[in-house]
Amino acid sequence: MTGAVRGGTSILYCAMGESVSETAGVVNLGTEGSMLVGALAAYAITANTHNPWIGALAGASAGAALAFVHAFFVLNRKANQLATGLVVLFLGLGLTSLFGAAYVARTVNSFKTWKVPLLSHIPWIGQIFFQHDPLTYLTFLLVPATWFVLQRTGVGLLVRGAGERSEVLSTYGHNVLLVQYLAVVTGGFLAGLGGAQLSTAYANAWFENMTQGRGFVAVAVVIFAARKPLAAMGGSYLFGAALALSPALQARGWHVNQFALDSLPYLAIIVVLVLLGKKRAAEAPEGLQKVFEMSIAT
Amino acid sequence: MTAVTAAVLGKFDRRAATRWALALLGAAIVFGILVMTKGANPFSVYHSMLSTVTTSASTDGILLKATPLIFAALAVAVPARAGMVNVGGEGQLVIGGVFAMGMSLAVNGHLPGQTTLVLMCIAAAVGGALWAAIAAVLKLVIGINEAVSTLLLNYLAINVMLFLIYDRWKDRHGSGQPASRPLRVSERFSLIGSSKVHTGLILAVVMVAVIWWVMRSTRWGFQLRVVGGNPEAARRGGIRVGATLLSAMLVGGALAGLGGVAQLAGAEFKLRQGFLATYGYMAFLASWLARHKPINVALAAVVLAAISVTGDSLQLDSSLPAATVNVLMALVLLAVFGWTRVKVARA
Repeated sequence: MTGAVRGGTSILYCAMGESVSETAGVVNLGTEGSMLVGALAAYAITANTHNPWIGALAGASAGAALAFVHAFFVLNRKANQLATGLVVLFLGLGLTSLFGAAYVARTVNSFKTWKVPLLSHIPWIGQIFFQHDPLTYLTFLLVPATWFVLQRTGVGLLVRGAGERSEVLSTYGHNVLLVQYLAVVTGGFLAGLGGAQLSTAYANAWFENMTQGRGFVAVAVVIFAARKPLAAMGGSYLFGAALALSPALQARGWHVNQFALDSLPYLAIIVVLVLLGKKRAAEAPEGLQKVFEMSIAT
Repeated sequence: MTAVTAAVLGKFDRRAATRWALALLGAAIVFGILVMTKGANPFSVYHSMLSTVTTSASTDGILLKATPLIFAALAVAVPARAGMVNVGGEGQLVIGGVFAMGMSLAVNGHLPGQTTLVLMCIAAAVGGALWAAIAAVLKLVIGINEAVSTLLLNYLAINVMLFLIYDRWKDRHGSGQPASRPLRVSERFSLIGSSKVHTGLILAVVMVAVIWWVMRSTRWGFQLRVVGGNPEAARRGGIRVGATLLSAMLVGGALAGLGGVAQLAGAEFKLRQGFLATYGYMAFLASWLARHKPINVALAAVVLAAISVTGDSLQLDSSLPAATVNVLMALVLLAVFGWTRVKVARA
């Protein structure tokens, strides 16, 4: 269970970012790419500054920069969101292999596990939630904060308006484009942080294409969570739990085929989508439905 | 220069050609700058990339690489004409290869080689179609977007293959990396002349022609385009939208499956880790690059294959990682997406 939180956190960051972006009506499959450049930038900067916090900030900025590319082509040039997202992922893949080769097999001063005093001694719960790296703790604040900002503040109303009724927003004199830009870039920022958690706190390593579809999983998580932060948290931990299952079973001497276990996280996400999918699709913001063309599905 | 291009292209209007040229030039400049930051001379990089493309050995390499790409790109194009986003080429290719290998193992040399090859092709097409059908059914019954489900299914497909080659199908006599046993020589596609290119390429070209004709001249192709253009109108016009979407995905999956067998029986002869890795995504981009028109899609697949083959020259001549060409590929595509469209196709 500790592994579920540890392994799920990077996806949780991405899922929060994607929630913001999708609420504003922009799907970003490039989340995977943002995560990847975030992972590398964080790792590289940590290697050079020996400070993982500066690294994390660099990772987040790199993720935001890549998301900006997505935003520009989708919002200004009206390119297809899904296709552009994949191209952005390719860009991320190429950039990270170009600049990342030097950092393979290098060790860095990564984030250390910090046990929260008192809380970490609570039986069971303490072990699951309070024996982690600082970036994981940050998500405990991020999730409610994302919910609060999106659902209870004026900023959130603008973001939701941009996704749901952009005409209304522009009628009231708000700059829809700006709101969407900020939402997408924020999404990339968070995805970059997720990448930073992956490379400098979870894996303590950098290797090519290390995200292994986690960004895509985050997009799927956001869909079945209907952009609700708390549900996305559950989904991310579900993926993390499935990830953690394989080493846990092996440690207990079970001989289950490794690849059957490796497919579990993806299978779990698909199953959850199947169970919750139908209800959620109808709740998507109108701007998103246009992208996904969900109206066909009847 | 641009004027010449426009004149050559003839039927395109001059402004569009200028935009294409400028977009590609922009991509090339950005990539050049990136290469420079890694201490390589962009001009010598481009020079060595260009000279790689023009040698006959790499023409072989490009066509070899383009063969599965053409199949997989058609697999994106057909559903796309019906308005669906199939990002599952990766998984459908791999499953095609797995089904073909399975057929070869099941026959186990009891039939003539070429008969087995035909059976393998059928198995691969069925496998790819079934894999794509999962995503289509999820969409039609539950409303899960196919872009997301096909992406996730890719990872599952790869694990299915890995499971088989590390376990049931592992070649006990093989050395090093786990892999299936190689196909019998008689079960392979024959080579064309003295090149490394195999007859799978001919099959690919035939498929391009068939799909082009089907899309243009048959009732089904028409229905596909109507559903892609306006599903509501299609429904009112009496077209069964669900069935049309399902059939488009099935055909797409079958095409990708054929791509899998083409690579297996034409180039690699056994399943191994990394079999056809990233081909599915490149194929997706090829189809989008060419706006899902079958003949253009095939040409785009060849172009992307060429860019990707030049990646090897980067590694050899400029000691940049081969995957660096992904940057160039992405920049070219972004330029094309952003600046060459005459009208906005679909938001």
